[in-house]
Amino acid sequence: MRRTARGIAVLASAAIALVVTACGNDATEAPTKTDPAALSAELTWWDTSDPANEGPAFKQLITEFNKTYPNVKINYQSVPFGDAQNKFKTAAAAKSGAPDILRAEVAWVPEFASLGYLYNLDGSELLADESDFFATPMSANKFAGKTYGVPQVTDSLALMYNKKIFTEAGITEAPKTWADVKTAAATIKAKTGKDGLFINPGGYFLLPFIYGEGGDLVDTAAKKIVVNSDANVAGIKVAADLVKSGAAVKPPAKDGYGTMMTLFKEQKVAMIINGPWEVNNVRTAPTFGGIENLGVAAVPAGSAKAGAPVGGHNYVLYSGMAQDKAAAAIAFVKFMSSAQSQAFLADKLGVLPTRKSAYEIDSVKNNAIIAAFQPVVAAAVARPWIPEGGQFFTALDVMATEVLVQGKDAKASLDTVADTYKTEVVKDYSAS
Amino acid sequence: MSTATATPPARTSPPPRETPRPGRLRRSWDKHWYAWVMVAPVVIVLAVLIFYPLGRGILLSFTDLTEANQLAEICDRSITGAEVCRPNPNAWQYIGLDNYADVLSGKVGRFWQWLGITLIWTVGCVVFHYALGLGLAVLLNRPIRGRGVYRVLLILPWAVPAFVSAFAWRFMFNEKFGLINSLLEAAGISRVEWFADWKTSLLTAIVANIWLGVPFMMVTLLGGMQTIPTEQYEAAEIDGATAWQRFVNITLPGLRSVSMTVLLLGTIWTFNMFPVIFLVNGGGPAGQTEILVTGAFRSAFEGIRNYSMASTYGVLILSILLVFSVLYRRALRKQGEVW
Amino acid sequence: MTVTPMAAPAPQTTGAHPRGRGRRSPLASLGLHATLIVASLIAVFPIVWVLLSSFKPGHAVQSSELTLVKEPTLANYSYVLFDTSFPTWMVNSVVIALCTMLIGILMSATTGYALSRFNFPGRRHLLLVFLVTQMFPVAILIVPIYQIMAALGLINTHAALVIAYLTIAVPFCSWMLKGYFDSIPTSLDEAASIDGAGPFATFWKVIMPLARPGIAVTAFYTFLTAWGEVAYASAFMQTDDRFTLAYGMQQFVPQFNAQWEYLTAAAVLVTVPAGLVFLYAQRHLVSGLTAGGTKG
Repeated sequence: MRRTARGIAVLASAAIALVVTACGNDATEAPTKTDPAALSAELTWWDTSDPANEGPAFKQLITEFNKTYPNVKINYQSVPFGDAQNKFKTAAAAKSGAPDILRAEVAWVPEFASLGYLYNLDGSELLADESDFFATPMSANKFAGKTYGVPQVTDSLALMYNKKIFTEAGITEAPKTWADVKTAAATIKAKTGKDGLFINPGGYFLLPFIYGEGGDLVDTAAKKIVVNSDANVAGIKVAADLVKSGAAVKPPAKDGYGTMMTLFKEQKVAMIINGPWEVNNVRTAPTFGGIENLGVAAVPAGSAKAGAPVGGHNYVLYSGMAQDKAAAAIAFVKFMSSAQSQAFLADKLGVLPTRKSAYEIDSVKNNAIIAAFQPVVAAAVARPWIPEGGQFFTALDVMATEVLVQGKDAKASLDTVADTYKTEVVKDYSAS
Repeated sequence: MSTATATPPARTSPPPRETPRPGRLRRSWDKHWYAWVMVAPVVIVLAVLIFYPLGRGILLSFTDLTEANQLAEICDRSITGAEVCRPNPNAWQYIGLDNYADVLSGKVGRFWQWLGITLIWTVGCVVFHYALGLGLAVLLNRPIRGRGVYRVLLILPWAVPAFVSAFAWRFMFNEKFGLINSLLEAAGISRVEWFADWKTSLLTAIVANIWLGVPFMMVTLLGGMQTIPTEQYEAAEIDGATAWQRFVNITLPGLRSVSMTVLLLGTIWTFNMFPVIFLVNGGGPAGQTEILVTGAFRSAFEGIRNYSMASTYGVLILSILLVFSVLYRRALRKQGEVW
Repeated sequence: MTVTPMAAPAPQTTGAHPRGRGRRSPLASLGLHATLIVASLIAVFPIVWVLLSSFKPGHAVQSSELTLVKEPTLANYSYVLFDTSFPTWMVNSVVIALCTMLIGILMSATTGYALSRFNFPGRRHLLLVFLVTQMFPVAILIVPIYQIMAALGLINTHAALVIAYLTIAVPFCSWMLKGYFDSIPTSLDEAASIDGAGPFATFWKVIMPLARPGIAVTAFYTFLTAWGEVAYASAFMQTDDRFTLAYGMQQFVPQFNAQWEYLTAAAVLVTVPAGLVFLYAQRHLVSGLTAGGTKG
């Protein structure tokens, strides 16, 4: 069903060519700009993407960028994702060693912005066509009425399934609700002997269950902690029931994520809840049967709706960067987040563009997986974009293990989470 | 002379305690300048890199300073050139002992649970480190064929970066794909869900840490054995002492000084051993096997970093270890001079 | 083969345990070897797993069918060696570890000697102070230490790491060496002093050579502290060309899609030189301190 590799290569180079021309045009059209070659600066960029699989594509884009802006030198530095957040904050606080540009995870932006570590981009060229970005990924860049970044890639959780197992079990359509999932899992078990579903016991991966019942973690408008609401308890109980009834594999307490991916790639489990970042991994696994075997659908709905959290990464500029580098930094981020660059990355890495216009480009339009993910992303639910946003998940992870692995009561576990939020995370919020 | 090594020897010219007299400092300098010169580099480095942060940490533990309130004013720079600064609405302040009250009362974090786990962890690891290290050192100190090869093989765990070993152990204990469960199954025993229960989960981390730490103990004790004069063994042998008697009466006393050091420092290090718990079982399941350092790190360093809370935990850990050291020293003192 | 080429002292040490080879019954010998073999197996077991994994393609490292060898390949090694900055990291690590080792030995030997021989004011406090430095958890100190390093202009320099590693290693090594020096009879110092040697000359020419096993332990410890450390390296080093091995290797295990095959290959490449250092240094663990010291 896919084009040949040769076709991809042709499209990719076409995309790059487009990028170059597009940027050249932009630069000449912009009223304040002169010759791009006149722009001269040295910028450091911390990239937190996977250096082996994703890094080369970004480096390729930098090379393209330098064709237009030969005098802007980009020092590309790959920083392990797990380190980057603390490393950036430590360096920014000491005013020494922080990069000019950072690829920041969505939850980091409000946090960094609240600490004064980021330039606000209002009034710059980067936000000139803000409406082209999807609203939900863009919302993660807003803090206290200002905008601090532009979305690089977006993602969300979806139901990923094994088409072959579905066919063997006689299932023709991806399940739409958790109840459907339970039925489908029973059919799969009966007809193929394989397991139906794997739920990774992590807080993030349980958000679809919470959103499905119309719940959320906190109500930022009312400054209220709602993590132990009745809706959430009901949602978590749905997940617990899937495990207890055998529809979902009982997950291990440690390395649940890796176990989920291994079982899915080895076709031992039919459905998982995961995001587009694993598409490449599944595609290259020799045991899975190729991308043709991968089905993607929106996460199943609970009693209220279907919803999954938005994720992704943004480009942000460090506020300690000298002002005279601003023009070069803007040019670089503009180039990297242009529709053509996003299309190039989508094609190379399977990541999802954040611009609506990028989905109009043929290479994206014809990419079945991205097409499948597009409605997922369009329906993604924004998380509470407050500086404390990153701290919600430690307690939620504990809850996930307690409920899914140790079989504890959902209500009791969520009450503990609410207590932790009140005493340690959002102290000025009211408990429900 | 040659046998006087069981206890540290008397130092050269043991001076009586200095009596405060005018010009004492001057005379003290004249007399001890070379000693001070010898220790100066270490003292300077430690003062700058450890004591300044430590003092600052103690001070911070009486404040509510976090990453968010540490600045007097927060500035918002616009890429278009403007910069707006406004005073921080809730700047940090001294709050006395509130942090300690919050931590010790269990309002924030789970101090007492973490302390309990830390004690099990520390005792479990140090006892096995020492016992296995000593046993292997004794064996390796005997002249046997292939001693060099054994030595290198046994030290090898030390050469692998600890985080790689931690990953390796995590893989081996993996509940679905791990080697250990496969071996158990092959032996007809059912698989164990290692990380689902706190006891087995803690066990995995302790096993990994014992594996990591034995080479260090072994090498140190092996080195210590070289200071035991061989004449003592010869004399004992002439007297017809058995191997066990020689071990108890010569080797152990001869290792006293080294053992004291490694046990004390080993305890301190294990107490604060961050990476093994963090990487092997992640304090799981559900945070039930966090030790004090990992728990403190998670509660203070995830998201907006809470420096005052981190410092509070640091001071509490420091206090516990100081008390331990003093008691340890007192216990040893009864048996002779320590330090 | 156990008589190491440590020249003079070694035979004496070996000779000091005449009961050993002569009198040990074959059964005892067998038991001894059996114990050591079992211990060695346990010691190398996880390392063998790492070694075997390093020859597998990525998808076979974590898999529900457990295999010893599967589709063996050298691709992981060639990737690590030629497509990453691994060789640079290796050079960095060697430089940093050697610097830490040399400076560490020197600092802890002088300190240990002063602590052992001179009853100067502050001596007892210093020993306690060394302990205290080990008690405050590093995970919590890292931010202020970073700020100091930044103030000194040492961010992204190897000097920052060497200094940081010295603060970890020197307190322990000083304690350790003090113990060794304590066991060297003070009569030797006195004799040297009568011969007209000052305290520094005595230390350097008389005591240091006798403390060889202690120095060897110190060397092991300082070298390995620098070799495997990650926390400081991840905080202070910012560009790829300055990374150490242990930190650089973390790039192989990103958030998702950890590349175990590269991590394991790199781990093997890291362990080999460290093993060689061991092979060399372990000889010095047996030395003629007591024999040479008391008889000579």
